[in-house]
Amino acid sequence: MTDQHHIASAFDRDLESVQAQLMKMGGLVEESIRNSAKALKTRDIELAEQVRKGDREIDSLEEQISMDCASLIARRQPAASDLRTVLTVMRISSNLERIGDYAKNIAKRTEVLAQLPPIEGSAGAVKRMAKEVQNMLSDSLDAYIKRDAALADEVRHRDLEVDQMYNALFREFLTFMMEDPRNISSCMHLHFIAKNIERAGDHVTSVADQVVYLATGVMPEDPRPKGNGAPYDLGTFQESDE
Amino acid sequence: MKDNLEGRKLVNQMDVKIETRDVQVFYGDTHAIKDVSVDILDKTVTAFIGPSGCGKSTFLRCINRMNDTIPIARVEGTLMLDGEDIYHSGIDPVQLRAKVGMVFQKPNPFPKSIYDNVAYGPRIHGLAPTKADLDVIVEKSLRRAALWDEAKDRLQEPGTGLSGGQQQRLCIARAVATEPEVLLMDEPCSALDPIATAQVEELIDELRENFSVVIVTHSMQQAARVSQKTAFFHLGNLVEYGDTDTIFTNPVDPRTESYITGRIG
Repeated sequence: MTDQHHIASAFDRDLESVQAQLMKMGGLVEESIRNSAKALKTRDIELAEQVRKGDREIDSLEEQISMDCASLIARRQPAASDLRTVLTVMRISSNLERIGDYAKNIAKRTEVLAQLPPIEGSAGAVKRMAKEVQNMLSDSLDAYIKRDAALADEVRHRDLEVDQMYNALFREFLTFMMEDPRNISSCMHLHFIAKNIERAGDHVTSVADQVVYLATGVMPEDPRPKGNGAPYDLGTFQESDE
Repeated sequence: MKDNLEGRKLVNQMDVKIETRDVQVFYGDTHAIKDVSVDILDKTVTAFIGPSGCGKSTFLRCINRMNDTIPIARVEGTLMLDGEDIYHSGIDPVQLRAKVGMVFQKPNPFPKSIYDNVAYGPRIHGLAPTKADLDVIVEKSLRRAALWDEAKDRLQEPGTGLSGGQQQRLCIARAVATEPEVLLMDEPCSALDPIATAQVEELIDELRENFSVVIVTHSMQQAARVSQKTAFFHLGNLVEYGDTDTIFTNPVDPRTESYITGRIG
């Protein structure tokens, strides 16, 4: 990335504007994750509703960014780092939109869960997991602003921790459900919430991938770090277990 | 890597047509080209880009010794066409230019008929023993330049009566009539409208099947569209030379980046 300005200053303004929108969208999505996890922990239906309604703004920002990028490509024919910026903005905004949807989904289930008896300790664990994803998102957006490939790469590797947290929760929910079938309804919702956060983590990793591409011009080569697939192993374990 | 883009067709990196080493050009005291070493490939379109005065046209003109016509111009270093030194004393520049054709910025047909414009080169080089042979060459050349259908019924009309885009294609037909191996194009579309430009670009892509094409262009988008290899010149230096895809998505040199993204360099 060069610090020089375009000869056509309107090009600079267009690029800055679309990136400012992306950062605004990133801020809203971070807030959505934080609030949805908080609403879950504190059984706060009002906060959950606020998250659900807030997703509309995230969606409309994505549409706006998408149109602005199309216009930039049509009118400016960006090349080199400008081209990578536009491509990256488009892909990151679609990742952010998906993360926003997951937060909305968590909020919906929170409203249902608030009517059910609480499951000891699990909301706290889910909130810690959400906190980690939120931190990863915050760091990848920082990495975007600084065009910092090293920081982005570090974020990519942290997804493994999220996967491990998810696997641990998966086991915990199984245990709760086996202990008492009355927990099944809550645990199913909680499991979907944990899965949503895990998927959000994948999208954050994809954001970090894009930042590496933006900064270096090449997509990261090593496959995204993956867990050992424990839930699938657990499935087989279940079948053979009496 | 699998290549899905038809327009990008893989080029043979080993098939070098023109090899240049440490080329210098001086106009009097002005050092216009500095240490340019580059391998230009056969059956490939190579684009030369760079700001005005960067030396891209000067370097292009070295390849068919057009700089010989400028008294104060002096060329040093080595330029080889198929391993033969272009500047060797035994080389006849006129014969060389039959092998290395050129198309200029403004269409410049001779004030003759369409037929005679195309037949001129084959006649002076004695390539057509009979009128029938010449007819064949004229038709083939006009077809290669995608002008045959428009011109076949008016071959005896003056070439200057054609539209700008047609005139430029006539000049291309004239250049390919001597069966050159290399085609040099110096901003061939800068005087043409977008439709004629698209036709010439389509033609360049077809010509690549048989020729090594080198094009100087001020339009970065044109370079990106038509070429497989791009060379960026700046202040007489060859700053960067590489695959067009790489130059336009991830150039190595910050000067290339500044130029192609339209920043002050």
